[in-house]
Amino acid sequence: MNNGYCSPALVADAHATDTIAKRVHYSPPWADLSIIGVAGSSGSGKSTLSHAIVSKLNLPWVVIMSMDSYYKPLDAEASKKAFLNEYDFDSPDAIDFDALLETLRDLKAGKRTEIPVYSFEKHQRLKETTTIYSPHVLVLEGIFALYDPRVMELMDMRIYCEADADTCLSRRILRDVKDRGRTVDGCIKQWFGFVKPNYEKYVVPQRNHADIIVPRGVENRVAMTMVTQYIERKLLEKSTHHRAALKSLEIGFESETLSDRVTILKETPQLRGMNTLIQDIDTCSEDFIFYFDRLSCLIIEQALNNVHFKEHTVETPAGRQYRGLAAKGEVCAVIVLRGGATFEGGLRRVIPDCRTGRLLIQSNTRTGEPELHYLKLPNDISKHESVLLLDAQMSSGGSALMAVQVLVDHGVPQDRIVFATYSAGRVGIHRLTKVFPEIAVVVGNMVPDFQDRWVEKRYFRC
Amino acid sequence: MATATEKRPEPGPTQCVGPDYRSESQKPIATVSTAVKFENVVTLPQTPQLIALLTMIRDKNTERADFIFYSNRIIRLLVEEGLNHLPVMEHTVTTPVGRTYAGLMFQGKICGVSIMRAGEAMEQGLRDCCRSVRIGKILIQRDEETSKPKLFYDKLPEDIAERWVLLLDPMFATGGSAIMAVDVLKSRGVPEERILFLNLIASPEGIKNFAIKFHKVRVVTAFVDQGLDEKNYIIPGLGDFGDRFYTM
Repeated sequence: MNNGYCSPALVADAHATDTIAKRVHYSPPWADLSIIGVAGSSGSGKSTLSHAIVSKLNLPWVVIMSMDSYYKPLDAEASKKAFLNEYDFDSPDAIDFDALLETLRDLKAGKRTEIPVYSFEKHQRLKETTTIYSPHVLVLEGIFALYDPRVMELMDMRIYCEADADTCLSRRILRDVKDRGRTVDGCIKQWFGFVKPNYEKYVVPQRNHADIIVPRGVENRVAMTMVTQYIERKLLEKSTHHRAALKSLEIGFESETLSDRVTILKETPQLRGMNTLIQDIDTCSEDFIFYFDRLSCLIIEQALNNVHFKEHTVETPAGRQYRGLAAKGEVCAVIVLRGGATFEGGLRRVIPDCRTGRLLIQSNTRTGEPELHYLKLPNDISKHESVLLLDAQMSSGGSALMAVQVLVDHGVPQDRIVFATYSAGRVGIHRLTKVFPEIAVVVGNMVPDFQDRWVEKRYFRC
Repeated sequence: MATATEKRPEPGPTQCVGPDYRSESQKPIATVSTAVKFENVVTLPQTPQLIALLTMIRDKNTERADFIFYSNRIIRLLVEEGLNHLPVMEHTVTTPVGRTYAGLMFQGKICGVSIMRAGEAMEQGLRDCCRSVRIGKILIQRDEETSKPKLFYDKLPEDIAERWVLLLDPMFATGGSAIMAVDVLKSRGVPEERILFLNLIASPEGIKNFAIKFHKVRVVTAFVDQGLDEKNYIIPGLGDFGDRFYTM
């Protein structure tokens, strides 16, 4: 068996909690999000700086959120003023801090969050929203990013951008005329009417709350490096924490029996024969693919026995009644790439028009940590009767845990999730069912230990 | 062979269907396969999925495309179960992770024999599990004069005597054609124990007639129905399989 090593601290931790045997908590790496606040006068280069930071890090888990999304929607009277450039957008009163706070708290808890879209043309929030899910680092930029103490409390780093007033005004005119449909006259009227007085009254005092004050924006390489290094260190801490948490979920896997919601395909002669052909390194690709498709079809058929059915009586052509069953609702599938894609042949044989979501989880080659890179799910996934979650192999269970967490975060109740895989080890199943005791698991072939992901390599031949 | 003389067949047994971890109240109730006491008859596990598939193909309102699709899914499950009765030998291999796996190797040559025309509808399911399998055909029709089944045509692999035979016919009513087909196979040298008769829906009468005549032929069925009506149709059944699959 593979090592059951656990650091003493983690063991102590686990014993301290009585409920560990019942419900173990899994914390995805996007829980406890790090928030970087970037404040500064209008036109001081906040968003340029934020974008530069993100592009320098070049990671999918760092996102920018502009506080512009949180302008309060205007009523008819305020709207009229706004069109005459007489509404004060540069006062903290124009910002809906409560809504912002709610979003940040949700994100910090690892939840999927809808960000409002504000239209500068209409001075209203649009019906559509932008979804943010699973960032590890969020850069919040806005003139009042460091204004509300409740928001600041959630931040890990506070940056204040500084630029001289002439630069700010010229940048602002260029931006507002080009991107926000204003006139030059309007811009200047706003500048002296609101922006400048507010700058002195509300924006400048934020300097006192900043950890770093960055003059000259993106040209300031030293500041940029400091910020990116800080974020990189934060990400590494999160990764270490995530891997340690995964490790701690192993406890008890040797002694405890598997949950009754775990089905292992019956070891019939055909199944063993197919397993032999699939696992034999000397099997040619044509045979491998043929037998894998045949077996994955059986796994899907078995998985579907865990979905919910309702009673349904039909009349046969002989005019007789048959008291049968019918599916309670639509079943959709979510494929964990790349391994899960090997199940698509089998899936299409059973449900040809199955709606299929995909998520790409890859193990970091350096640390072994599973990482969520891509996510596309059916919009109404939470309303589907059941969701089949498919992956070719499960060894440590890290990516399966993450995949289930993603579904749960998207509103799919645990007891509607069926995780199906070709092969799995006891450790992985133990972890997965400890954290999510209500999901059903279907396994084609139990394997003794952690295995390299060889199935997808064989199936896709690369 | 004498057919059933009982007046009205008993309605089939009902039970809660679903995975073990759900309580009785969480599981819907459905009619399941009638129990039969013959050792050579294997019925597929009565899973909720199988019952739902059968419900779909029994429903007279199901369209042809759906009928074909759902019956194919059951046929594949039947073939998978049927293949489990073939011989295997131990075979150890090296896996991609460098371990050894004490596995099994399929042994013995097989072929399919479909009883025309409905049996031919099962050929795709067989091919889905066994590529390039040899398939023979037998045409048996009711003789207008004697109203007994009569063999009109057969085309079988020449070496059929050395093969295991998967005999295909979806509806197993009185068993008249199946009995004749087995007689044909036996006349070509296929021993009873190497014949597997795969069908979707069987009648208790058909199974009984067959089992009395052939002790060693194995029958694999998805569902044993209540019985036969006065015209010897399986009830509740699903109508004429060939018509629903090919022409309706």
